[in-house]
Amino acid sequence: MKTLILGLAIILVGCSTPTPVARKFPEAVAELQEKCPTLKTIEGKDVSITDMLKTVVSNYGLYYECSNKVDGWNEWYDKQRKNFDSVK
Amino acid sequence: MVQLTWMLSFIPEWFWTFLLIGGVVAFFAARFFPQFPLKIGGIVAIVISVWFLGAASNEAKWEARVKELEEKVAAAEVVSKQENVVVQEKIVKQKEFIKGKTEYITRYIDKEIIKNEEVIKYIENCPVPQIIIDAHNAAALMNKAAEDPKK
Repeated sequence: MKTLILGLAIILVGCSTPTPVARKFPEAVAELQEKCPTLKTIEGKDVSITDMLKTVVSNYGLYYECSNKVDGWNEWYDKQRKNFDSVK
Repeated sequence: MVQLTWMLSFIPEWFWTFLLIGGVVAFFAARFFPQFPLKIGGIVAIVISVWFLGAASNEAKWEARVKELEEKVAAAEVVSKQENVVVQEKIVKQKEFIKGKTEYITRYIDKEIIKNEEVIKYIENCPVPQIIIDAHNAAALMNKAAEDPKK
């Protein structure tokens, strides 16, 4: 019985062996995690061409805002990857 | 084996050095005291002490490596946070620029284009046909169609 208890104690101690160096996954920038907005549609009847143009301009803005995020993700990934690989 | 090493790690390193010296002394003293099993005892003490001195040295080497890696990881985490700030500032700056530029162009349409004589004469008074608006809206919402192709 004593041998069994000692044996179990030894085995359980083995379970608590910690990992030598733990690495934390870097947190992404909050702005990059925002979802891209839906493009605007033209509402109403008898829409003038300038109103239509304003919607088109607004949609271009939304597109560039979203493409900016994609570029941001790429930049974030490249930098974090280089930084991660630098630890050896 | 790990558990055994763990338990033996509580024995201070000087003990193994002391045992090694004692083993060497016992090995040579065996000539003068043949009535005692000093030779075999000395050999056993030398082997055990050399083994554990080696283990302690190896452990120290790995602990130093772990410490070095921990320092590198900590430094990398600092760099990671700094890079996040750089990316965040860039994103916010570009977002504000795009927003500002969109507002500027919209204001330009309201102030200048809408009052342009040529625009008033040929375009502004003619509403855009619904078919063109529908085509525009379909293009603007094409990602919705991709989410649910049945629509």
